[in-house]
Amino acid sequence: MSVLRVAPRTAVVLALASAAALATFTWPFFIPAHPESTARTGEAPLVFLVMLPVLVALVLAELSSGGIDSKALAMLGVLAAVNAALRPLGAGTAGIETVFFLLVLAGRVFGPGFGFLLGSTSLFASALLTAGVGPWLPFQMLCASWVGLGAGLLPTRLRGRAEVAVLAGYGAFAAYGYGLLMNLWFWPFSLGADTQLSYVAGAPVLDNLHRFAVFTAVTSTFGWDTGRAITTAVAVLLAGPAVLAALRRAARRAAFDAPVTFAAPAPQPAPSTATPPPETPVAAPQDVPGPAVGVAPPARRWLHEAPVTAGEDGQGGGSHQAPQRPAD
Amino acid sequence: MTERRDGVDAAAAAPGRGPRRWSAARLPRGLHPGAWWLWALGLATAASHTTNPLLLALLVAVAALTVLRRRTDAPWALAFRMYLVLGAVIITMRVVFRIVFGGGQGEHLLVSLPEIPLPEWAAGIRLFGPVAVEQVLGGFYDGLRLATMLVCLGAANALANPKRLLKAVPGALYAVGTAVVVALSVAPQLVESVLRVRRARRLRGATGRGMRALRGIALPVLADALDRSLALAAAMDSRGYGRTAAVPAGQRAATGALVLGGLVGVCAGTYGLLDSTGSGYLGLPMLLTGLVVAVAGMLLAGRRVRRSRYRPDRWRSAELLVAGCGIAAAALTMLAGSVTPELLYPPVSPLTWPEVTPLMLLAVTAAAGPAWLAPPPPGSPSTRPPTVGTPVGAVAAPTRTGDPATSVPGGHP
Repeated sequence: MSVLRVAPRTAVVLALASAAALATFTWPFFIPAHPESTARTGEAPLVFLVMLPVLVALVLAELSSGGIDSKALAMLGVLAAVNAALRPLGAGTAGIETVFFLLVLAGRVFGPGFGFLLGSTSLFASALLTAGVGPWLPFQMLCASWVGLGAGLLPTRLRGRAEVAVLAGYGAFAAYGYGLLMNLWFWPFSLGADTQLSYVAGAPVLDNLHRFAVFTAVTSTFGWDTGRAITTAVAVLLAGPAVLAALRRAARRAAFDAPVTFAAPAPQPAPSTATPPPETPVAAPQDVPGPAVGVAPPARRWLHEAPVTAGEDGQGGGSHQAPQRPAD
Repeated sequence: MTERRDGVDAAAAAPGRGPRRWSAARLPRGLHPGAWWLWALGLATAASHTTNPLLLALLVAVAALTVLRRRTDAPWALAFRMYLVLGAVIITMRVVFRIVFGGGQGEHLLVSLPEIPLPEWAAGIRLFGPVAVEQVLGGFYDGLRLATMLVCLGAANALANPKRLLKAVPGALYAVGTAVVVALSVAPQLVESVLRVRRARRLRGATGRGMRALRGIALPVLADALDRSLALAAAMDSRGYGRTAAVPAGQRAATGALVLGGLVGVCAGTYGLLDSTGSGYLGLPMLLTGLVVAVAGMLLAGRRVRRSRYRPDRWRSAELLVAGCGIAAAALTMLAGSVTPELLYPPVSPLTWPEVTPLMLLAVTAAAGPAWLAPPPPGSPSTRPPTVGTPVGAVAAPTRTGDPATSVPGGHP
């Protein structure tokens, strides 16, 4: 299922911007030794630092240009909040990274476009909450977006154990890829220009790749990146089935792909917005407890102690969909 | 003099408010976040044009002074220390990497460490070896420049209210900005949700620990959050979210063409920038043109979104002054660089003592302006009525998207 339809034009924009953005990561491999006036070693990074936020903004604007459904937008905001709340849990503890787990699962359930947006909004909200805004933020946002996008592009037919296994494998792969790209971005900045591990402008690509491989192996691959990959894979294996069930249940309740139809003017005043009619077939699964979508619940419900209906719902879903223990 | 200019503006904004009208401009209020960002970017630009450690240290001091004088007690304002620590880490990293992996160039040997040659697969690198003053100093200068730029951005983070900045995003990014506002508002409620679920578990006598308890808490909280999103969507629908303006087909096509054409230009420009045989016109000019064209397309696409703003931040004279100070600092540093380039980039070999010229001092003075020119920040929210600049939306009910941090979609055109 895809919550956010990606039009062909959007796909082209996404591909072009991703190609240009990849250059902002990999430029140390390609930068020529004797460039014309502009690409001095000092200035090329700055050009790319300015360019990437604009590219990210362009893609985000393009993805949301068709108008995001209010339910998708609320889901995006809430999942980004959960991600942003999860992120500080792992920060600082030997590579334990808790962001990718939900990002991969949500991208899987809600589709590639939603996964892309979720990656960006999660990291942006997290940066605002913990005041981590800096030049690295657009790069992190883009990498996380790619992770969510990739999760949405995995083959759709898989279900059950195979799905969880594939997602865990993808999570580990994405964690390594994210670490590698962020290292690549940080490489010229952390080292400066003239150590033995720095990039050499104009050197053959393989030579620079070799230096980068040594740099990333020395600094992070065996510590941080491996920790991140293991955390993500284990979290997906352990909690994946239950979380997938919860997300799918929410998607079913929201009835994202219900066709929006406007009934003929009825005698009573018609609702002003495009909520799907409650009698659409997709909108009526058995486990909807109350009235269907589009009916505002009591507004004060979240402010006061309320009976934990949601909690019981979740527990029920968790218990009859008990996650399989990993094979080992 | 500045007071008089403020006074003119205040008089225009609120005519006939008594003889001491200028004081209205000095009333505590939150400055437009864009002004702080422009100021900080100006400082960062100034820092990027020099490796003179004295000038860089002065810029850091100016940023810290302004933050201390003009920050609020919002959570983002308290993270400035983190940026200082991060800057120190960057400097240390650069110097340590130079010592461990450095080539050992330079005349003045500090110390000679034992060499550790690495095997062939590691690109023939050797660790440690002789450590020269020039090498360490070069790393320190470079690191200090990067750290200064970082601290300047940290100052903008501490001073500018991110929620109000989100209000100022262009129309095309409105949906994404709203999602971020939702995320910022919902995140604190997750804590309350966790507490509620734990209480319910205790009441039921569940005393599980470890993985089982984690699942018993985490999953209900997640389900709770997902249900909450549906309630929020219903509330947004009932308040008219998603209203769009009719855009003629021709304009839509033009928007698409601008964005696509601009991106093709960006790709070509990037290629030209990284290609050693590329001709001149394919490089930076192409890149910048592409970016401008694509951004124009994006702004055009934003006209589809119709929204009204609740209490928009106005761009007044104080904002102009603050932004102007940053730009002046950048311009003066560049001017100093064209007059005495060797003083802005003090050579590492031969070793020279860095100097500061009057022009640099002028740049630093301009940068320090906002510490006094900007209006003082509003006091703590508990002692003042919730007016401008109060962090809003953090504890608002989830069914209210129309709080002051969000623009009301649709609503009133």
